[in-house]
Amino acid sequence: MPYILNTDRDREEMLKAIGIDSIEELYSQLPARIKLTKPLNLSSGLSEHKTKKRVSALAKKNVPAEEFNSFLGAGCYDHYVPSVVPFILSSSQFLTAYTPYQPECSQGALQAIYEYQSYMCLLTGMDISNASLLDGASAFAEAVLMSLRITKKKKVIVAGIFHPEYRQTLKAYLAGFDFVIREIAEGTDGLVDTEALKQALDNDTGCCAFSSPNFFGLIEDAPKLADIAKRYGTLTVLVTNPISLAILKEPGAFGVDIVCGDGQPLGSGLNFGGPSFGYLATKKEYTRQMPGRLVGKTTDREGKCAYCLTLQTREQHIRREKATSNICSNQSLNAIGAAVYLALMGPQGLRNSALCSFNNTLYLYNQLKPLKKINLPFGPRIFNEFVWEVKNAQKIIEQLYRRNIIAGYYLGEQFPEYKNGILSCCTEKKTKEEIDELVGVLREVPGG
Amino acid sequence: MDRKTVFAKKTNVKEVNYVGPSGVPLQNPQSYLPQNLVRKDLPLPHLGEADVVRHFLGLAQRNFSIDTHFYPLGSCTMKYNPKINEDMAKLDGFVGLHPYQAPHTVQGTLELLYELEQMLCEITGMQRFTFQPSSGAHGELAGMLMIRKYHQAHKRNKTKVIVPDSAHGTNPATASMCGYQTVVVESTLEGLVDVDKLKSLVDDETAAIMLTNPNTLGLFEEDILKISDMIHKKGGFLYYDGANFNALLGITKPALMGFDVVHLNLHKTFSTPHGCGGPGAGAVGVTDALVDYLPVPLLKKESGELFFDYCLPHSIGKVRAFYGNFAVLVRAYTYLLRLGSQGLRRVAHNSVLNANYVKEKLKDYYEVPFPKRCMHEVIFSCKKQKERGASAYDIAKRLIDYGIHPPTMYFPLTVPEAFMVEPTETESRCALDYFIEAMRQIDREISQDLDKVKSAPHTSFVKRVDETKAARSPDLRWRENGV
Amino acid sequence: MADVKFAQSHEWVRVEGECAVVGITEYAQKQLGDIVFVELPKVGDKLKQSFQFGVVESTKAASELYAPLSGQVNEVNTDLVHNPQWVNEEPFGKGWMIKVKIEDKDELGRLLDEESYKALVQKEGH
Repeated sequence: MPYILNTDRDREEMLKAIGIDSIEELYSQLPARIKLTKPLNLSSGLSEHKTKKRVSALAKKNVPAEEFNSFLGAGCYDHYVPSVVPFILSSSQFLTAYTPYQPECSQGALQAIYEYQSYMCLLTGMDISNASLLDGASAFAEAVLMSLRITKKKKVIVAGIFHPEYRQTLKAYLAGFDFVIREIAEGTDGLVDTEALKQALDNDTGCCAFSSPNFFGLIEDAPKLADIAKRYGTLTVLVTNPISLAILKEPGAFGVDIVCGDGQPLGSGLNFGGPSFGYLATKKEYTRQMPGRLVGKTTDREGKCAYCLTLQTREQHIRREKATSNICSNQSLNAIGAAVYLALMGPQGLRNSALCSFNNTLYLYNQLKPLKKINLPFGPRIFNEFVWEVKNAQKIIEQLYRRNIIAGYYLGEQFPEYKNGILSCCTEKKTKEEIDELVGVLREVPGG
Repeated sequence: MDRKTVFAKKTNVKEVNYVGPSGVPLQNPQSYLPQNLVRKDLPLPHLGEADVVRHFLGLAQRNFSIDTHFYPLGSCTMKYNPKINEDMAKLDGFVGLHPYQAPHTVQGTLELLYELEQMLCEITGMQRFTFQPSSGAHGELAGMLMIRKYHQAHKRNKTKVIVPDSAHGTNPATASMCGYQTVVVESTLEGLVDVDKLKSLVDDETAAIMLTNPNTLGLFEEDILKISDMIHKKGGFLYYDGANFNALLGITKPALMGFDVVHLNLHKTFSTPHGCGGPGAGAVGVTDALVDYLPVPLLKKESGELFFDYCLPHSIGKVRAFYGNFAVLVRAYTYLLRLGSQGLRRVAHNSVLNANYVKEKLKDYYEVPFPKRCMHEVIFSCKKQKERGASAYDIAKRLIDYGIHPPTMYFPLTVPEAFMVEPTETESRCALDYFIEAMRQIDREISQDLDKVKSAPHTSFVKRVDETKAARSPDLRWRENGV
Repeated sequence: MADVKFAQSHEWVRVEGECAVVGITEYAQKQLGDIVFVELPKVGDKLKQSFQFGVVESTKAASELYAPLSGQVNEVNTDLVHNPQWVNEEPFGKGWMIKVKIEDKDELGRLLDEESYKALVQKEGH
């Protein structure tokens, strides 16, 4: 049997040591009614070779994004992942260790996570970061819950264009509480309508959340939004793409209370949307209200520098029903991957990626502008994606698939008022030729 | 020894570009953005690639892991992680997929998910599964939100969730996240749910009971059918926390025990690596009654083609973006193909055998508070050792010197000086014997050289860590000039 | 310590004129181990006898603090925020937590005297 090392003889001797005759006796306390009388209806086990063939055959049926000229983004971005990142993450002692509960034999994981926390603080300009959460959408929901916990208020304002799956996640997370979610639509420029925001803010509001770049790729005036919200004594939550922070003002500099989002751009790859990791950074004064694990630096009994999980009393295995969140696990391996990624890239590399993504996207935007059949509903205050409209958008996406191009994410299903909308993204991996190809094909296709 | 952080290792490498120029004309974002939105400086250190590799691989060496050490962490099922799983999860056809690609370009992936779902349904007796939850507790949240939505839709006034006193802390935390009051049912002296006490707690307002079976004391809840009857009669649901399912693979199914919702920790039972705390996968399965409430999307097959169906009007929505930790699911699928039906049963058999063997060989040295036959894990109490001067904590730390990762300590909360050992099926008898001998030796050391135990570990990269100091004055990040 | 009374939940009370000083007992701090954090109410908060007024945390446990008396919080030992170890070092001295303006003197009667508290501790210890 694969992966089992006991031999028949071992088993016999072990049973004897226990004082029973058969394996079945180990299960004697199970009621007969619930015991399976025939084997599970699964195929019999395959050899490693045959398993490989079978799984590889499934993988071959897929066409990876890279084989297309793909402009998909929408929350999952095709940034380059340097070979060092998967190399480090496949080392056994990171890959196959448990949560570092025993600091003396987990210093590697602990220091790596401490470095991750530090990197996220430097990147966001915030005081502290947790050790990661499950993904961007759940991190967003946790951030909102955390704000409402701190302010002890009931209302959250979700301002502007959010990733639809983040909104859905927030709704599900809040379903068990008597909290109110108030959504503020965007203005005609695609940005938060500040007048509507001011009207919605009141003394019951405990949290005001916005995202920048928003789901349409537009950069909000985040400092101004934070200012407006603060006048009403509410906490502010900013969802952002961590790579954008290489060129956008660090949120810590303009007083946002919680910054969160998905760390996927920092070395996680596409992976059909998971795993990546959620990040959450905040001000020092909210440390104890923060969900998720934290690694702290301390000393060992000889006074040497050491690391350990700390402030665990916020967690559910101690606080139980009073914990800051019910979730203890995170995505440590991907968070460590982000630390490796940021160490490799350094300020210059990260800025290069961000600038190149921006320039590629801006180039595509400018190339589409002269096309009559294409409408650009918003200005070029963008980072790595933007919305364009074309008649029969869904059909055009299908046509382009046949030319081996994925034009982008179709907006119509989640945003009925943009039924001709397509969200296209360029990372630093896109080349001028690939962008020109998309523009060229769009020139040809009928429509408009 | 190198104790520097990555931030202290900066060099003067400045030119980093893994991709190269794209060929488009370069513009400065400043010309498109107001000044106040532009970042002035990015205070990250510069490092060379070789330095980065050396730094992080150096860190990795300071970790115990299942590939390098015996890791009998109770309730965590630290079994061997097969290497073929890693190869499969890294296939180009999986790694390179964008979640929003058109269905016809990802049929292989959808087929894998479809088959994995069918396998898990067969193993548990559930009707459908969602793979969205990314950890056990996340699965609990999804499952309990479904229960909540069901009760609301059926206009039932449900206010409370029952959990045993030995439950994982996530259970009561999840119940309160879902707006329920937690009611704790005590265990009997034998370590099982006290059915009489339960009877007095169950009423029309009971939304559900959350159970782990085998429970966290490593014992099978023998009265499970009585319990399920009692809860179902009042219109409540049984939630199965699958953390300990390893013991029962192919022996019984949660559905046969009366469970309505199940979460399976694929990173425990189905051998996917733990990655220092994640990513995992907490797949959630439900019986017929709750299918309508599963998160969106669900897989659907029409005229031979698979696609994601978002049209589920009663769904609880989503608990995260996209479809879950797909790369973890590939590993679990690979594992299931390798093992097949007989292999899974053997997993259960050997996990229970190994735990009982350890129990038998150590029971004369360490107190066994619950003498009943244990399942895949065994609880000891180090009470006698504590009286002689060494706590469970001390013993755990001393095990590190023997190259063994400490078991789970001080859990469940109902056992003083608890020491929870889960050897798993992938350990050889030889490895178990080494552990047993180490535990006996430590017991002797407590009499002969108490200080050696109390000051352990001695061989690790750092000595006993001052966790009190860490909590009293938290240092949670590196800063340029110290604190 | 004749003027000191005790709650079953291991808080002590020392009456000083109109006010009562509150802290946790020697037994409680020993049970908790190294205390790393104390969360206390604000001056002006109203407490109700037997209801929670704060939390003490050690590295591995958190316990609720219950008000031994009803009344308004007059003073809070804010030094404990930076020196939680004082609760371990001198639970009856500089580890005191809050001063409450006594609302109802009869409530004192519902608390234990030293003798009965000692008996309680002995029972719990075994």
